Amino acid sequence: MTLAIIRKTGARPYPPRLTEFTATFWNELANGRFMLSRCGDCSHRSFPPKKICPICWSRKIGWVEHDGRGVVYSHALVHAAPAYFQNELPFRVCVIDLVEGPRMATRLIDATADNLFGAAVRLVTLQYDDGALFAARPG
Amino acid sequence: MTKPVRRLQKPVAIMAAAATPCAHLQSAESSAIQTVEHEILGGCVIDAMAASGLDKSQIDSLVFTTPRTYTKQRYFGTFMANYLRISCSGVVMEVLGNGMTGGLAFDQAVLQIASGAADVALCLGISMETGIDRSAHLAYQMRTNGDVDFHAPFGLTPRAWYGLDAARYAHESGATREQLAAIAVKSYANGVLNPLATRRERYTLDQVLSHPPISEGMGLLEFSAPADGAVCLVLTTEDIAKSRGRPYVLVRSRGFHHAGMHEISEVPDDMLAFTAAARAAADAYESAGVTAQDVDVAELYAASTIIEALVSEAVGLVPRGQGAAAAAAGETSIGGRIPVNTSGGLIARGHPAYVTPLYGVVELFDQLRGASGPRQVKDAGIGIMLSELGNFSGASVHVLEGVR
Repeated sequence: MTLAIIRKTGARPYPPRLTEFTATFWNELANGRFMLSRCGDCSHRSFPPKKICPICWSRKIGWVEHDGRGVVYSHALVHAAPAYFQNELPFRVCVIDLVEGPRMATRLIDATADNLFGAAVRLVTLQYDDGALFAARPG
Repeated sequence: MTKPVRRLQKPVAIMAAAATPCAHLQSAESSAIQTVEHEILGGCVIDAMAASGLDKSQIDSLVFTTPRTYTKQRYFGTFMANYLRISCSGVVMEVLGNGMTGGLAFDQAVLQIASGAADVALCLGISMETGIDRSAHLAYQMRTNGDVDFHAPFGLTPRAWYGLDAARYAHESGATREQLAAIAVKSYANGVLNPLATRRERYTLDQVLSHPPISEGMGLLEFSAPADGAVCLVLTTEDIAKSRGRPYVLVRSRGFHHAGMHEISEVPDDMLAFTAAARAAADAYESAGVTAQDVDVAELYAASTIIEALVSEAVGLVPRGQGAAAAAAGETSIGGRIPVNTSGGLIARGHPAYVTPLYGVVELFDQLRGASGPRQVKDAGIGIMLSELGNFSGASVHVLEGVR
């Protein structure tokens, strides 16, 4: 386990769909492990996980764990959102670059610093009653 | 390997245009008397054809924008062919591609003429969304912009993505809140002069800044105005246009690029470069034999202030990092160095999403014929129309020129 697991009450506001393939990602996330799909031919690591390598189109896909360390590329405070998220407003979203890994977008939680650009973040598991989500937080 | 310059096989002319104002056209579902799509668009077709001086028997092709899902009549293109009793041997089709829908429909109509498949083509459509529940629409948008399973669960709406652009832009360029908001002030100043605009009211910088924040400090007045709208354009060969003896607008070239990404690339890149817009514009300029410096007026698809700043940079109208500052300095105003979105743009003229790019063509059609009244850009000769999809994952550019 490399990701801190934060317990959240209630259900996820907008739960993702699981496929036979992506279930691996979500199940491991619940265990505090952040998995990237990795191409067996060209070694490209993808996020979101993909059954086919987007670079070389290989179907030889495996999984590799990432420790969840990254840096903030951008972040924004959002004040208006669809009904699902009304109780969470305002919330902060971010684009982060995982260290030697893919760029991704998610929530940024517990952010207090004024200038977060380039700041170190770590992914965490948000464990809801009905399943896991992830988020980034400074640290 | 040298990349070939792709050119239109044949010159294409815009002969006429008609549009409803961008407004609340759609009735609520509960309303006893309804406004319906074919009755609204039918009027535009009659007006545009009358202005063209052509007969309906000359129409070879109908290229429609697909109506939004909130429009009840489906298979709308073939339905309209019957409603207006237009028989065609070119094509009758509907085009769909997110916010680029209007741009792609225009492109397909242009290609009908350029390829010789048609001598007369209508590019037309209606987009309605004001009669439906707004929060349902926001939820729908979350399913279009980004990944339903890996972005939507975090509340990444289009406005959230704009906020991410705006924050990074401020960080990199030093652009201030006031400079970005100046783009909205400029948009409203133009919209006041446009009879097709939905928000026809001037706002001061203080008023724009004092509206409730939506995303990363940008307030309500810095985003596109939801609207309904309907447009019909008449496209022909240049020979037919010439034979009418009236001013027309020539489509000089097209450019298109999709970056093979959707909102974001997992391979870290320069998110503010809007590569698709830059490449589509570069190809369109090259194909037309012009440069960004030759452009006199631009209609750019920008659903928020930050997007207008970034796209005006990407297509080379202002230097990198200067989009907001240039607007604040008046460079992109009517009378400025390079007027952008003289129609008021998506912010003031309004944003009937699937036909918005067609309103861009309508504005340039007037500007390049010297028919824009108080909005007229002096001696406007060359204009560009740009549409995009998904935070500029893809972009389409057309270079237009007035022939008077």
